[in-house]
Amino acid sequence: MEPPGKNADTYTVRDRFRKSWLPIAAAVGAFAGFVSAAFQLRPDAKPVSGGAPRAAEPFAPQQSSGQPTLDYELQYSKSVVIGPPGSAHQFQRSLLGVAVGPKDEIYVLGEDEIKVFDSGGGFLRSWKVLQGAYCFTVTADGRVYVGALGKIEIYNRVGIWSGGFPAGEADKPAAITALKIFRNEVLAADADARYIRRFDQNGRQLGVIGIRNNTGNFMLPNRWLDFDIDSNGLVTATDTGRHLVTAWALDGSPVSSFGKFGMTDPAHFVGCCNPVNLALTPDGKVVTAEKMVARVKVYEPGGRLMAVIGPENFDPACTHIYLAVDSTGRILAADPVRRTITGFSQANKVGRSQPLTSEASPMDSQKREEFNIL
Amino acid sequence: MSEKSTRRKFIDRSARIAGFVGIGATAGVLARRVSGDHVYQVDPFKCTACDKCRTSCVLSFSAVKAVNDFEKCGYCMLCPAYFDVTSFPDEKGIPSGKVCPQDALKRRVVGKEDPDDPNNNYYEYVIDEERCDGCGKCVKACKPPAGNGSLRLEIRYARCVECNECAIKVACPDQAIIRVKTPGMAPTESPDETKVL
Repeated sequence: MEPPGKNADTYTVRDRFRKSWLPIAAAVGAFAGFVSAAFQLRPDAKPVSGGAPRAAEPFAPQQSSGQPTLDYELQYSKSVVIGPPGSAHQFQRSLLGVAVGPKDEIYVLGEDEIKVFDSGGGFLRSWKVLQGAYCFTVTADGRVYVGALGKIEIYNRVGIWSGGFPAGEADKPAAITALKIFRNEVLAADADARYIRRFDQNGRQLGVIGIRNNTGNFMLPNRWLDFDIDSNGLVTATDTGRHLVTAWALDGSPVSSFGKFGMTDPAHFVGCCNPVNLALTPDGKVVTAEKMVARVKVYEPGGRLMAVIGPENFDPACTHIYLAVDSTGRILAADPVRRTITGFSQANKVGRSQPLTSEASPMDSQKREEFNIL
Repeated sequence: MSEKSTRRKFIDRSARIAGFVGIGATAGVLARRVSGDHVYQVDPFKCTACDKCRTSCVLSFSAVKAVNDFEKCGYCMLCPAYFDVTSFPDEKGIPSGKVCPQDALKRRVVGKEDPDDPNNNYYEYVIDEERCDGCGKCVKACKPPAGNGSLRLEIRYARCVECNECAIKVACPDQAIIRVKTPGMAPTESPDETKVL
């Protein structure tokens, strides 16, 4: 029976239309969906949309060579964690640096105080330092130099203030982001002037390191300069805007550099400005920390990548990972977002010619599980 | 001869007075709104650059635009808000893709250019507001830790038509559209932001 008010011819045409086209449309839709799903599931599928070609898996720690992430020459595993939530000495508000003192004691700057831990993470002592401190260093005899905007202050081994001096000019105080002591000299990274200042113990400026070429000095879009110095006086510093690790003699002459921007090769530095933090191991290896992909890497002095401590160990929002290395080569990495310090000890040595595969022995499998934290 | 006031007249007068007071108060509220004492603005500390500003504004081309805070900007050679850093690099190692679909973020060298080494220059990034549609892709890409967070979205009053109820405010999932005093610049510092170098 026809519905009331409907023209019989029109109804028939519509009815035919429904009968004929709906199944066809449904079939076409299902086919398109099937093709689309199959295309997406193919691992080698290319993007359908236009635009610039994209690098595959940009943040993957190690995919470009086709080797598994474990295939680095050096492996590191967690050996100590200081200040995790719920611990007796957790950092409630801030964590701004880590350094190694005598007997491999771990010194930490946070919440306007220095906290000292033994090498196993046991709390030893703490004391208040000047407000607004950004960085610090510890000498071999336990003195602590603390840097803030326009000044450096010195504390003895038990935390008693024992001196200090202004840094920078009166109208342009030094924005000190790293401090190191070499013999009788105090070296301070000035992120505002974009070079490293050399002072004697009385605060008299002896010279600067890092001045060169068109843009002047270090290029620091993130306004942070970090460096370390080896026992021979060779200064190794970050040049974040250029994606370089640079080496300088004490007189300011450039020695060498390595590094390159890149989002896929783990040997390269990602993002706008990396590496952000840096430390040297006792045998001269360079340890770097990056932001955007929060990770720590270990390089030979010539720039060959030897190890990656991956982003799964750090908060992705880290703009810094403060670094220090003790006498055994253990890397101490301070995550200011999670406010924890993690020690990474060298686990073993794996040759590049021996990639870990799924056919490895049960013992190797256990090790691999252990290394998966890296 | 004075006319004696009746109860009916008293109620009538009272109602009239109450009516006039009501009309006056409404007019006052409207006049205050029209005078632009308070205006809508984007709170950059709540904004997640979700793209609602582009799609929800009553204007066909949104009144929300990206702005660059040059105090915070790092003048990067490889600005993550300008370059799509995940795109393949060219022969000089510079990514080939751009973040802005409208090409509204413009890049120029600051000072004397070193033509041989692009790494050796500082670059300034400015917004072409005629092109910017407020999608916020650059803002999202500039957020820390990738960038310094110098780019933010702002309602531009030359374009905003000051709706009684801002359509973006209604649509915003982050409650990032706030009322601020004229001239309505977006806040540049969060009250609980720790000042760092």
